[in-house]
Amino acid sequence: MAPGPWWRIGWRNLGRNRRRTLITAAGLAFGYLAVVLLVGWMEGLTAEMIESGTSTLSGQLQVHDLDYRPERKIYDTIGGRDGADVDRLLGEVAADPAIEAAAARVFGGGLVSSGEATTAGVLVGIDPARERRVSNLLRALTAGQPPEPGTNEILIGSEMARQLDVDIGDEIILVVPAADGSMGNDLYTVSGIFRSGLAELDASYAMMPIESLQTLVVLDPNRIHEIAASTVDPWLAPEAADRIRARLEPLGLGIEVEPWTRLRPEMLDYAQLAQAWNWVIIVIVFGIAIFGVLNTMLMATYERRREFAVMLALGTSPLAVARTVLAEALSLGVLSLVAGAIITFPVMIWFHNSPPDLSFLYGDYTFFGALIRPRLRVEYSLEMWLLTGIALLLTAIIASLYPAIRSARVPPADTLSGL
Amino acid sequence: MKHQRLLVLAALLLALPGRAGAQESARDIIDRVDRILRGESSHGIATMEVVTENWERNVTMEIWSLGTDYSLIRVRAPKKEEGTATLKAEDDIWNYLPRVDRTIKIPASMMMGSWMGSHFTNDDLVKESRLIDDYDIEISFEGPRDGPEVWEFLLTPKAEAAVVWGRIEYQVRKDDLMPTWARYYDEDGNLKRTLDFGDYRSMGGRLVPAVMDMRPEDKPSERTTVRYSELEFNIDIDQSFFSLRNLRSGVR
Repeated sequence: MAPGPWWRIGWRNLGRNRRRTLITAAGLAFGYLAVVLLVGWMEGLTAEMIESGTSTLSGQLQVHDLDYRPERKIYDTIGGRDGADVDRLLGEVAADPAIEAAAARVFGGGLVSSGEATTAGVLVGIDPARERRVSNLLRALTAGQPPEPGTNEILIGSEMARQLDVDIGDEIILVVPAADGSMGNDLYTVSGIFRSGLAELDASYAMMPIESLQTLVVLDPNRIHEIAASTVDPWLAPEAADRIRARLEPLGLGIEVEPWTRLRPEMLDYAQLAQAWNWVIIVIVFGIAIFGVLNTMLMATYERRREFAVMLALGTSPLAVARTVLAEALSLGVLSLVAGAIITFPVMIWFHNSPPDLSFLYGDYTFFGALIRPRLRVEYSLEMWLLTGIALLLTAIIASLYPAIRSARVPPADTLSGL
Repeated sequence: MKHQRLLVLAALLLALPGRAGAQESARDIIDRVDRILRGESSHGIATMEVVTENWERNVTMEIWSLGTDYSLIRVRAPKKEEGTATLKAEDDIWNYLPRVDRTIKIPASMMMGSWMGSHFTNDDLVKESRLIDDYDIEISFEGPRDGPEVWEFLLTPKAEAAVVWGRIEYQVRKDDLMPTWARYYDEDGNLKRTLDFGDYRSMGGRLVPAVMDMRPEDKPSERTTVRYSELEFNIDIDQSFFSLRNLRSGVR
């Protein structure tokens, strides 16, 4: 807009009926608060789902033999039958800047038995020191401690412990089909019990030192099924996977490197759906606000019909009249935005740093196989804050277009003669 | 018109007892075959050769059975698994693991799991003896097939039977009641596996197939072959032999 008195006129007009201005600005400011908070909460929920879904066990990125998924046969170890240099692979994966930590895993499936009770179990061979930095399961112990490397210790889920009626220090028997066709079997001591909140994990997963499981299923120490890695930010995983794939390509092992977005496409779909919803929220909230602002501006301009008539009669162009109205609306928008930011950010900072605990309303729940805590966690999103601010200003302008046009079309003679 | 109806009725009346009789005799034949192969009780030594895409192995085992409800199988070789034993008593299966000196009962959820890494399942051990109870049996073919006269039976599961197969086809030679093959189909009618019998010879005073060969249809290179080297029938054995205590104690 060209510089001129229109801005000053618009701004000053806001002060003519301060109460009305304040109420309208408050409406827009609360609209801003509502959008930023709702969007922040939805992003918080998505982030919680992704973090929980990937860091409970799977990690944000996994390396397997090309043949391993989806059947997960015990023979399809990384590098095939000959195995691979596990330490080197771990080093290569962990060397990527987006990777926080990487850990090797061996899987087996068989019977877990104690006394009369027997259940089917998924056995995961882990390196406890490394695993602790990749997945959360070792931090979710309700009793005892992780299995000690070099021992026949085992960590089992709380539901499995209940089914087998065992506690810390009790012995359980594992019977597992081994890679050579024999039935591997041995006694293990329960060193710890975990509770992830995910029924499947708690009922059927058991973790033991990796070399102990390799012995049980007759796999050489250089044969592992999976390298799982955690990333500094889940959204960096796809690029990290591409880089690691390129880095491991020369080894010629025939492996796949998959980020969680490909291992768990449904979670990615949900995250994208949630982002699409952000726009819906903006449209609904400001769609309502438009009519509030429109009402105020119509009132304000109707009161000033005589004023506009005088301006027009003195030779002000209709466009200039419209400008004063738009300038007024935009000033109102800026005022509202400042007010909105002032009330929004303290709330955001509070909800981000110590999310209100809603566990008195409802308990933990699972969502896409991820455990969600009942908290109003919000995520910051600079992009959405800016977009919401722009949406607020646009709302003010769109709402005042009609009043502006009406003001510009006030017939001077008729209005001044009191018609 | 009326005439025709009468004829149809007459035909039905005549046919019904005939069909019932055929059903009866099909069951009888299967039952007789079963009795020959099983005897009142039996004791034998067999070698099981398992060939898979990933490994091959031979297991030598000693087998006792009593009627259809009880059997005990004890591994004699290889050394690593010597003493491992399986007890089948009615519907339950226990495994004894000498290394940890424990018995474990196979849970219902693992019944379809492989038995000792072979192409037989735990369920086979339990259900194999109950074909007559679980299936409706009819003769689908009778006459010469590649030479000898045979019966072919079609076994379809009874409505209330908890079985895994959609149907089983079973061929038996007419002259000596020796089974030649059995084919197992899933519920969609796809052939899943074939059990071939062979090397018919006299053991323990009766003619039996000394070799059973199980081949899964989806992995043509894989098979499990069980070959009996010794077999005797109607031995002096009773139910108390098939106890958990005996399973654990390791009879030699």
